[in-house]
Amino acid sequence: MSLAVDDAAWRSAWRRRAPGDKLLLCAGLVGCALALPAWPGSVLVALTAVALALGPARVPARTFGRAVRWPLAFVATGALTAVVSVGDGGLGWAPDAAARAGSLVGHAVAGTAAVLLLATTTPVSDLLPVLRRLRVPAAVVEVAAVTYRLLFVLLESLSTIREAQAARMGHSSVRRSYRSSGALAAAVLTRSWDRARRLQEGLAGRGMETGLRVLPEALPSSRAFLAASAAGLAALVSLGVLAA
Amino acid sequence: MHIAEGFLPPAHAIGWTVVAAPFVVHGARAVVKEVREHPESTLLLGAAGAFTFVLSAIKLPSVTGSSSHPTGTGVGAVLFRPPVMALLGTVVLLFQALLLAHGGLTTLGANAVAFAVVGPWAGYGAYRLARAAGAGLLPAVFVAVALADLATYVTTSVQLALAFPDASTGLVGALGKFLGVFAVTQVPLAIGEGLLGVLLFRVLTANARPELERLGVLQPTVAPGGAA
Repeated sequence: MSLAVDDAAWRSAWRRRAPGDKLLLCAGLVGCALALPAWPGSVLVALTAVALALGPARVPARTFGRAVRWPLAFVATGALTAVVSVGDGGLGWAPDAAARAGSLVGHAVAGTAAVLLLATTTPVSDLLPVLRRLRVPAAVVEVAAVTYRLLFVLLESLSTIREAQAARMGHSSVRRSYRSSGALAAAVLTRSWDRARRLQEGLAGRGMETGLRVLPEALPSSRAFLAASAAGLAALVSLGVLAA
Repeated sequence: MHIAEGFLPPAHAIGWTVVAAPFVVHGARAVVKEVREHPESTLLLGAAGAFTFVLSAIKLPSVTGSSSHPTGTGVGAVLFRPPVMALLGTVVLLFQALLLAHGGLTTLGANAVAFAVVGPWAGYGAYRLARAAGAGLLPAVFVAVALADLATYVTTSVQLALAFPDASTGLVGALGKFLGVFAVTQVPLAIGEGLLGVLLFRVLTANARPELERLGVLQPTVAPGGAA
């Protein structure tokens, strides 16, 4: 089983760009999304992130659109709750409700789009070596790497077992559905242990003693990409500040 | 629900990252020590992380007809203990941000405090208290998992109330609003997650007793005739 964002990252036209380059661009965009005034700053950041993803990075619009649904549900609920005022006369709108809600939604949508640009162009396994360069201990990065590799195997198990349960009427009532979900979680957990044990035995047989060393793929940094990113971010900052 | 990227003001995002850091660093140290002593733990810890991620993909049927997803913080705390969960939970939150667009990178600290620190510690504390008071494994698991779920969303509500105090009633009013929207609606779902935890542990005690004994969840049973 696969995850749409992960699939997009592996297929993206930016897949072979250096992860550090993409991380710098997206971190810059997230910084702009947070620091610039919502109008027009956040709008410009969101448009830039979406244009880069759908344009040069060739991320499917459907994947990008579907991925933002969840965060949008949170942003809408959170922003609405933040601008409703509870007073003596019951519920009402805060004095500057529209402006505050607009600003909250703007920052969050722009930030989410910027992170999603990174997520849909860079597989997690490319980002983990960057964590190592940021001085995260090797043991922690390795645990994260095993987590990333195993979660797809477990998602596959989850979907297969669930299908089998559904075919045997395992979800035909709330009571049965609970029992099936408990058994499903237990089956996935025991399978994860089994997988880990088998992997361990296989690696021990190959002489693993200290860590899971793999040959990292060489993805060279591009000066042109970095220069264009810096110029684009500078333009965003000036436009966002001047037009506010 | 995870706090979305860009939703918290920068000062709050930084503040919560600072709050989360000691717990995550403590968890990382525990993992580094464990891996140094037992290199094979890398795979078991990775499996635990992957399970925590996948647990949140299980649909939990809710009485109202809709469905929700377990947070997994309580089950993780009972199985793997809170210090390890602080790190594994943060790794899982990072993956959820990068693979599912749930949560974010600047809000990772705030989400880690709710999902990887407060939730697991509240659940584990309740579990130990219930066990010390003489409760069996399954009732203790129910209390731990339900409370961990609820504590996670109460923390998220506190974080949102601190960031967005109400115009007229201030922090208290805002806390009431966010608790009403994010935590009270969570009560039936917390009970649901507690039930799921009980069903999970019931299957595990029947089918995976050695693993539960190795994790320290169950006391090792002495084989008849004693150790040979």
